[in-house]
Amino acid sequence: MALVAAFALPHTPQLLVRPPTEDRELVLRVHAAYAEVKRRLAAARPDVLGVIGGDHIEGFFLNAVPALAVFVGARASGEFGRYRYGFDVHEPLARVIVEQGIEAGFDLTYSQDVRLDYAFYVPLHFTMPDPPLPIVPLYVNVYLPPQPAPHRCYAWGQALRRILDARPERVALVASGGLSHFPGTDRYASPDYDFDRALLASLAEGRGAETARLTGDELDKAGNVELRTWITLLGAVGAARAQVLAYEPSWHHGNAVVAWPM
Amino acid sequence: MESHYFFPPASAYPLNRFLFALKSDTATRDRYVADPEAAVGEAGLDAGMRAALIAADRDRLIALGAHPYLVFMAQVRLSMAREPGTFEYF
Repeated sequence: MALVAAFALPHTPQLLVRPPTEDRELVLRVHAAYAEVKRRLAAARPDVLGVIGGDHIEGFFLNAVPALAVFVGARASGEFGRYRYGFDVHEPLARVIVEQGIEAGFDLTYSQDVRLDYAFYVPLHFTMPDPPLPIVPLYVNVYLPPQPAPHRCYAWGQALRRILDARPERVALVASGGLSHFPGTDRYASPDYDFDRALLASLAEGRGAETARLTGDELDKAGNVELRTWITLLGAVGAARAQVLAYEPSWHHGNAVVAWPM
Repeated sequence: MESHYFFPPASAYPLNRFLFALKSDTATRDRYVADPEAAVGEAGLDAGMRAALIAADRDRLIALGAHPYLVFMAQVRLSMAREPGTFEYF
């Protein structure tokens, strides 16, 4: 049945837990875009939601740093402050992705015991249809160098699409990440919003394949290490043209909500 | 110039381990909120690391090899724990 919907969403925790430093109106505008995604997601009637996210050194620490991983447990759960969350995992699809991904040449890590990071939770908090769908958490290392190269992320997205195309389930994909931000660094208050705007313009023209030519160094300089999750998704959506539902740059973070009509 | 998110030096492992616990382990965070000196004293850190943690000196922590994101999110989680009433929850 393959891919029935695809989105890229922000997960910055200030959208869930707003400190007084954040513009409330901006946060609410991002929430409105999330609501539109929730509506479109329900309308696409997926059986399962694949979430491509970057672990924020939460499920994986320095005991093991997988470049690409799949969670193949029964239930993915975690916590962030007062939020306790958990999602059923679509185990048959998760397992097929690992098995066929490895067969295709991607040496995936899998785990049945990882705390689900808020990068996965925040977009699901706002967009998960009711009743909730089972998920497949798909990990891309974004914060612990050396991260996978953008061209490798893109190729993995292409392979993922081939796996999904041969499956009976209706699958929606969400990439969680970005856009420009520099948490913990002296660039925190000066993201590269010109990079974001040029990127969004190219995605609207269906030129997502160009992101495979970015280098890791370029992503780091642009505050877009998390773009690897989007690049993986772009490998899966190919030349489909993006619809930018929102771009809301705050004083430190480029919040982008994007849909690819399938 | 080194990347913003640099390879974590092995020398900084105990420091990153502690920041990870501060961020993700409620018991460690509660201990630190109650008594920072005692909490960092239990973590096998050298004097420079302990002092940088107590001072919450981001630049010093990063110079010692702390991962910038861990420094950032440990501070976010500490402020959520110390001042929960200042946040709006959605």
